[in-house]
Order: sequence, then C-alpha cells, then structure tokens
Amino acid sequence: MTQRDRPRRHGTTARRATPAEATTSLSPSTRHLLGLEALDGAAVRSFLSLARTFESARAIKPMLAGRVVANLFFEDSTRTRTSFSVATHRLGGHAIDLMGAGSSVNKGETLIDTATNVEAMGVAAIVVRARQSGVASMIARKVRCPVINAGDGRHEHPTQGLLDAYALAGAMNRGRDFDLGGLRVAIVGDIVSSRVARSTIFAMRALGAQVVCVGPPSMAPESLRSLKVDVSRELDAVLPTVDAAIMLRIQFERSDAAAGAKGEALVVKAPGLASVREYRECYSLTPERADRMKAHAVVMHPGPINRGIELDAAVADGPRSIILRQVAAGVLVRMAVIARLCG
Amino acid sequence: MRSDVVVGLGPAGPNRPSTLASDMASTPLTAASDQPAALVIRGGRVIDPASGRDEVADVAIDRGVVRAIGRRLPVSKGVRVIEAKDRLVVPGLIDPHVHLREPGQEHKETIATGGAAAVAGGFTTVCCMPNTSPALDSPELVDFVHARAKATSPCRVFAVAAATRGRKGEELTEIALLARAGAAGISDDGDCIASAGMMSRVLAATAASGLAFMQHCQEPTMTRGAAMHAGERSLRLGLGGWPRAAEEIIIERDVRLNRGIGCRYHVQHISSGESVEIVRRARAAGQPVSAEASPHHLLLTDEACEGYETNAKVNPPLRERKDVEAVRQGVADGTITVLATDHAPHSVDEKSLPFEDAPFGLIGLETALALYAEALVATGLIDWPRLIAMMTLEPARLCNLDRLGLGRLTEGGVADVTVIDPDAPWTIGPECLRSKSRNTPFMGRAVRGRAVATIVNGRVVTG
Repeated sequence: MTQRDRPRRHGTTARRATPAEATTSLSPSTRHLLGLEALDGAAVRSFLSLARTFESARAIKPMLAGRVVANLFFEDSTRTRTSFSVATHRLGGHAIDLMGAGSSVNKGETLIDTATNVEAMGVAAIVVRARQSGVASMIARKVRCPVINAGDGRHEHPTQGLLDAYALAGAMNRGRDFDLGGLRVAIVGDIVSSRVARSTIFAMRALGAQVVCVGPPSMAPESLRSLKVDVSRELDAVLPTVDAAIMLRIQFERSDAAAGAKGEALVVKAPGLASVREYRECYSLTPERADRMKAHAVVMHPGPINRGIELDAAVADGPRSIILRQVAAGVLVRMAVIARLCG
Repeated sequence: MRSDVVVGLGPAGPNRPSTLASDMASTPLTAASDQPAALVIRGGRVIDPASGRDEVADVAIDRGVVRAIGRRLPVSKGVRVIEAKDRLVVPGLIDPHVHLREPGQEHKETIATGGAAAVAGGFTTVCCMPNTSPALDSPELVDFVHARAKATSPCRVFAVAAATRGRKGEELTEIALLARAGAAGISDDGDCIASAGMMSRVLAATAASGLAFMQHCQEPTMTRGAAMHAGERSLRLGLGGWPRAAEEIIIERDVRLNRGIGCRYHVQHISSGESVEIVRRARAAGQPVSAEASPHHLLLTDEACEGYETNAKVNPPLRERKDVEAVRQGVADGTITVLATDHAPHSVDEKSLPFEDAPFGLIGLETALALYAEALVATGLIDWPRLIAMMTLEPARLCNLDRLGLGRLTEGGVADVTVIDPDAPWTIGPECLRSKSRNTPFMGRAVRGRAVATIVNGRVVTG
C-alpha cells in the first residue's frame, strides 16, 4: 500500500455514501457483501450490470492502483481465491493471500485478530473464506474496510450466486437486463450443506427465476421450501422441465480417496447417503439424462467436479456445459463487487 | 412446623443445638461466624407458599431465625428496620440449576462470584451442576464445593452430583455416598445419559438415595454439530439444527424406564412444546415427574440468534413462538412446577468465537426474577404467590432442601428472606451483573421487578 491511500481508508469512521450505493439498494450492510439474501433484484442487477462493463478490456480502469485487497482464507480454496486475485489485478490492485490461520484451537480470536491486523495495514478490502457460518459478518462488525464473503461455512457464497446468475443470463440471452423471469433452474445435490446453493437460490429468485432443489431427503429436505423453492426427489422428472441444471459437488471423506480412485463405493460425508452407487443412480447427470433436457438447457457446476459422480465427463465437457463460462463470469462479478465496495 | 427442621444453618455452637447436627457437618454454611444484627422487615406483603400466608405483616429476624411474623411488631433499640411497604417479603429464592464453574473454569465464574450474582438477583440458595473440571462425581468433590461455598459465597450453595463417573455415561458414581455428602440431586447435566441401560441403573440408584434425578434431555446422535433450533432459521443461517424430537424422545424413554422404578425424575430446562405435553401426561398418570423452565425459554425464540448472536446460543436451544407459548402454558396449568435459570457463564473471548464454535449457555441469576415476572405474572398466567412458590418451595422440595427448612418463611424457621419490589423498573446492563461473565441476550432490555434486599441466615447480604 502507499502513503497516499492510508489516510483515505483510515479515519473514515463516519461512512459516506459512494455514488454506487446511491444507485442501489444494497441494504442492510452496504459497505460489505456478506450474502445475497437481503438483496433485491435491483441490487443484484446493479452488480451484474457493472460486471458486464468489464467484458470489454478497454473499459477497465486501474481504479485500484496502489491498493491492496487481502484474501483472508481460513479454509482451503484454490479457484475462488485465484479468481478474486485475478479480479483485483485486473482493476490495477495487488492481491495478498493469508491462509490457514483457522487451523488451531483459538480460531475465533485468531480470526478476528488476523482480520483487524490486516485492516490496520491499510488494505482496501478483505475477502474472507471460513469453515464456520457467520464468520464474514463477524469480521464485518470488527473492521471498517469492506468485507467480501468468499464463502462462510454452510451459509452463503454470494459471488458464486452472482456469477451463476451472470453466466446463466448470458447463456439464455438475458444479459441485457438480467431478467430471468420464466426460467426454471434445478439445483441438484447436497443443498442443505451448501453455501453455493443458498446464494444461488437467492440470486435466481431475486432475478425472477424459479428454483427446484433435487436430492435425497438428507440433502434436499422439505424444509427448503421456506426459501421459496420447489423440492423434488425425481431428477428424471425435473430435468425435462428446466432451463438449467446446477450440479453440486459431493464431498467425500478424505480418507476414502484411495477407495474412490479404485472406483469402490465411497463413504460420503453427508449423513443419510448410503452409497455413491445409489447417489449416482438417482442424481448423477449422465449423457442419457442430459439428452432429455430442453434443447437450449444448460448444465452448470461450481467446481471442482467429481467427474463420474454428480456429473459425467461427457456432459461436463459437452455442448450444454457452461462451466467455463461460469469461471469467466466469476472474475467479472468479483471485479464488480470489489469495484463497487472499494470505489 | 416440623420438629426436625434445622434452626438456622449457621455454625452449630454449644448454645445453638441442632437436631440435625449430623447433617450440619456436611451442610454448606454461610461465611460469617459473628452474629448479624437483629432486623425487622416492616409492612411488606408477606408471602409463604408453604403455609399459604399472604398478608401485610412485619417480619422480625434475630440470630439467623425468623422470630416473629405479625402486625406492628415492637422494634427495640439497635434493631435494623427495612421498610417494605408495597414490597413482597418472601422466602429466600432458590435456583436449582446453575453453573458456578468451580473447580476448573474459574475464568468464567467462581463459587464466590456466582454467589454474588445469586444474591444480587434475590437468591439465597443455588444448586450447582456437576459439569465442572473435574466433574462433581465423588463425595470429596461435593465436600469441596460445600467448603468453598462456606468460605467464599454470600449465599448457600449445594452441589448436584454426577450420575456417572466423569459424566461419561459409562460407570455409576457412588450415588448413596453422594447423597450422604449432602448433594442436592443427581444429574449429568450438560450431557444426557444416552444409554437406556445405564439410565435405568441411574434411576434405580437415585431412587434408593431419596434424591431426584435431573435429566438434560438430549438424544446425542440427533444433535451432532447442532448449534441452534432446527428450523427455517437454522437452514437460512447455515447452522446445524437441534430438533425438538431429540428432547422429546428422551423424556418419553425415561418416563417409560422409570415406571417400575419410581425415581423422582426431573426434566431440566424444558424447551419443546411437545415435551410439556409428555410431562403433563406422565403427571396425570401419577408418575413422579417434574420439569423446570428457564427465563430464556419463556421469552425468546430462535430469532435471537439472527446475526449469529452467540449470547443467544444455548442448550437446549431457543425455539419458536409456539414452544414459548406451550412452556408458559405448562407453567400456568401446573405441569411445570419449578423455575431455574441454567445460569451458564462464559467469557467474552469464548462467546466471541464463530457461532458454531462458541459454547452454549447464558447467564441468568441477576435477571431471572424480572424476566419470570414479565413472562408469567405480567401476562396474567400466574400470580406472585405462585411465582414465589415456583422459586422457593418447589425447588426446595425437588432438592430435598425443604428438609433443612429452606424454601419457607415461618416463625422459628430459617431467616433466608428476599424482599422484592415487584414494580421497580430497571434496564438490564453490565453494571447490574455481579457474575464474572456478561453473556446474556437480555442486555439492554427494560424490565420490572427486582430484589431489593436479600437476607441469608439472618444477614442482609444485599440491599
């Protein structure tokens, strides 16, 4: 960081509304992006519209020149962290990574202390990823700089929700106004434990799409209906009705990775799931199943993919897949979020 | 009045023979050995649920004993007078469920600070749970707590002893010896006795001891990773859910196990509306089952957890409106007979952890009286005499403290007295707390009703 922006970020206890905030309803905690639940369609669209302006490389100004965005990752991540770093770099800023501080017992204090220390160094924003739900909002209460939630426990992963909406809108030719009205989106897999699912549900709903959650009862309980989504156990019945299928990753016990490599049935972390065989039989997106989707329907995945489990390679790499478009969108929406919050 | 009632719990000297001298050795005593000044509490509404007394009267206290209750008692020179017009004068309040953290977690609370919090809230007696470190699972540790209380606490403290060694649910403790050491009950509180086989042995041994068994009703395999009530909020917040059924099925199981045993079985901190119905049915069938309600379960819902508010993280969790209503109804119809704070201090550092990592529990001793009054009396569900009974006579019976003369206010009886201003408005703030900890979700709440004097063994300890 430079001397130039030290006074700028410090001493601004009384926050002033930025032009960006004046044009959106980013309530309630406008300085931060902690989740999408409280955002309405206009707020979501304003991020996506800003992201669209970055499609043209020439339109990008080095607005973060000389400033630092800290990636505070208490939990492992490669692609999200890299995506945030790329976004920062493309805005002319520097990204620094702090990782793994949450490994020992005093997680909470270490975590807050780490965040306040990083802030004291004068960073423009803190991007935080943590194992526990609520950590991003916890840090946001303790620091003055903007906090961007890059995934907190099973709670939210708001930039993932935004990028899913951005990628889907693009694929459906809805990228002009980001109106997803009339579209129906299936989210398949362990929804209850997924921060991606929550944020994506909120984004899709805010933009007018219908959402149906598909999975076994342990992963897609009926109580999800309180999020104003449909719930189904029948992937085969749902697939022909949707415009997009978002396949979630199944998380395996690490110790069973060897068995997985040999193609044996794995123990799955999510309680209530009997076997990979059963899961694959009921919920895997195979080429046969993909063939029964509408002609224009797309397949999405937040990555990393367990090929052959929730998603067959032929589908992941096939014509319906917009997975790499999602990755590209990720950088654009993260640029938009950083630009808006640090602007 | 029964002839075997101990006259004061102060040190038994040659001039103060006690018919319960053998008990005295192991009974926690108040600290002072010098005699407090004589005292008259004048013109208050004297309520004694044991005798049904509810009248305006004076109460004269001397040398740890209530000497007289009556109109216009003479006040001799040098006698301290507490004016109690428009105040309630009641037996010293008893909280049968607190955590004092000593030994082992003195950074959260000690017997001394917990005792100070108790008397600030109007309690003259508390029963502390055995989930200390080490657990209170031997007569020696019960003795330790009682000795520490005698040396350091302004109120009486009785230990509730563990049912299993180390509270691990595997090996029985010496329940007969724990009872002889003066334990006020048997419980593995903080953990449920999950094994039905072990539970039936615990019930049998506890029944033989004459003590009550107090169950922390939580089926453990249903609550792994749980941080709050299982419902729409836990789903939205991405927090593990603690379903009602995990409480209900333990009560159902225990009631059935206990049918042929007949132990006095007490449900701690009841949280689910359906649990209340299970207790109601068992009591209607004549089973020796009782239950307690805590202030937070009478007032708050899981909404208090919004924003990952760790001071609202408690076990069992805050549930929904219908549960609050059902617990209140249980109090109103007599299904729930005991009120208990489950005072559970934790340090600011611990409660600053992420919600999932922060410990369960909130403090309650200083705030309980006003919160019970708000939930139960102001709503018209019960009147003050019933509220007082649920905070004195009922917990005294549960913990066999009635045998020591506690929980009643009567001539010749123990001078543990609480004077309450039922209308005093105040705001819950850190300055009101004597506990070492500050973890209450009620901070900033405007309430009514407060203990204005707490008298333990004839000595004014607050007020």
